[in-house]
Amino acid sequence: MTRVRVTAPQSAARPVLESREAAEESDVGQVFVRSLIRTQLRLAVVVAGGFLLILLAFPLMLGLVPGLAESKIAGIPFGWLLLGAGIYPVIGLSAWLYIRTATRNEARYRDLAEDR
Amino acid sequence: MNPVVGIAAFAAVSVATAVIGFYGLRISRTTGDFYVASRTVRPWWNASAIGGEYLSAASFLGVAGLILLSGTDGLWFPIGYTAGYLMLLLFVAAPLRRSGAYTIPDFTEVRLDSRAVRRVTSLAVVVVGWLYIVPQLHGAALTIRITTGLPSWVGSVAVVIVVCLTVVAGGMRSITFVQAFQYWLKLTALAVPIVFIALVLAGNGTPAMAEANTNPTGLAPTGPYQNISLLVALLFGTLGLPHVLVRFYTNPDGQSARRTTLIVLGLLSVFYLFPTAYGVAGRMFAPDLAQSGRSDALVLLLPGRLIGGPAGDMLSALVVAGAFAAFLSTTSGLVVSLAGVISQDVLGGSVRGFRLAALISATVPLGFAFMTDSLALAGSVGLVFAFTASTICPALLLGIWWRGLTDAGAIAGMVTGGVLCGGALVAGALSGPAASGAAMPQWLAQPAAWTVPAAFAVMILVSRATKDRVPRTLTKVMTRLHTPERPLATER
Repeated sequence: MTRVRVTAPQSAARPVLESREAAEESDVGQVFVRSLIRTQLRLAVVVAGGFLLILLAFPLMLGLVPGLAESKIAGIPFGWLLLGAGIYPVIGLSAWLYIRTATRNEARYRDLAEDR
Repeated sequence: MNPVVGIAAFAAVSVATAVIGFYGLRISRTTGDFYVASRTVRPWWNASAIGGEYLSAASFLGVAGLILLSGTDGLWFPIGYTAGYLMLLLFVAAPLRRSGAYTIPDFTEVRLDSRAVRRVTSLAVVVVGWLYIVPQLHGAALTIRITTGLPSWVGSVAVVIVVCLTVVAGGMRSITFVQAFQYWLKLTALAVPIVFIALVLAGNGTPAMAEANTNPTGLAPTGPYQNISLLVALLFGTLGLPHVLVRFYTNPDGQSARRTTLIVLGLLSVFYLFPTAYGVAGRMFAPDLAQSGRSDALVLLLPGRLIGGPAGDMLSALVVAGAFAAFLSTTSGLVVSLAGVISQDVLGGSVRGFRLAALISATVPLGFAFMTDSLALAGSVGLVFAFTASTICPALLLGIWWRGLTDAGAIAGMVTGGVLCGGALVAGALSGPAASGAAMPQWLAQPAAWTVPAAFAVMILVSRATKDRVPRTLTKVMTRLHTPERPLATER
């Protein structure tokens, strides 16, 4: 066991954070941190990719299915409805799914890191 | 339009802004208050404020004008503006908040442990901010000219004066209240008149909606390259906007930063339904505005045209008030974040320095606005997004997610992106005042599709070549960025 000199934390406002980081900079702690970063990045890329695919599918669908863009729902052409309003629920749903999963990933990380 | 309507609407918005601003002055006392409202702003307030700050002249006037001009192609603007926030949520929101930095230059300095990176980032932030303020001032000039008949410069100067007064007086704390108020004002200002218009039209028997598909001008539709490049600019540009990112430091922790972004997405989705409705109505009832090159004034003129008399005047006053709320809120948000950067890097970070920096940040773009012609509002803001996506965005994304980024790589990438995209913007501006994109090659008119990948590529390659420059603080910083804050109950 080596002795270290105890000094004031670099920033007086964040002493809790500094001590937490000290604990997590151990080799084992870093394994958990790296795995958390990988999981969160994979999640973000999957959600972004899925959303972009849907975004791309909308104009393709309008272009490839003849008459679809002009067909009307409640007097409004479908093409306008889809691009003018239909995309927003998809954005909201993607965001909600992401937040739910990202929060769960963080909770799992916290359990692991505190069990040590 | 009755000139009194325009002047009264502007005066009312300015007074409301100033009153809320001065009320906030009593709560802000320290440097911390001025910069980030002491990080105690609640998600709903914060989300409304982000919405208020983000919905600029381009969203309030430009989107409807563009839909009037180019139909469903114009719909990609509001989609991109909203989806940009999804990208911000996925890749930036929580880590950026957890970094604990005040501004984007703070973030890059902490992450890469380098003063040089900080200076380059500051430069990029200042350029983006100034470029973004110019279209707001053009929008104000247009609104004053159309609604009151006064000379254009009155509008730009009036906006700069009101912004300087509120920012110098209250800092960020009062700005949060002002911005939140202005989101709801903008939403009301678009929603109430369009509901009245719909009721009146329903009473008269509406012409077929199919007319919305007829093109009012002879302009060719934009091709797939333009739409894709625009989407790249908007999706990646939003997550580098300095006035949006500075808002994330006002969340208490990473979790609430995410919650705030979700609320923002909801607020934006609701808002953009209305400019779209104006654009569609404009295609049916005001195609002459597109033919006479005044499409950006569509939102301002439509209520008065379709509903006459005092009711029409009242509704016009409401949209004019909303338009000024848009110019004021975006400009003041940008001025606050620019002043934060300039005062910290050049003037030593005191409250006095912040005030001086705010004056500088607001008056320089005024000069640019006088020197340049007004392009289509939505288009010129789209180009600012392209610049942000080519400079700040790669540094942020790679800084947050890639351990291999070095200071040399970040600087090389930002300079490459800035020079390529800036060059394309300047070349585009010089190749003719018409600047409608018709005479310009597409890759120059909409550069994001190649400048953004170029910036990323240079940043990665140079970082690979300078592996020995990876900062020694890397482990500590990455841990702080990505691990959740401890809940208060279990703090040790």
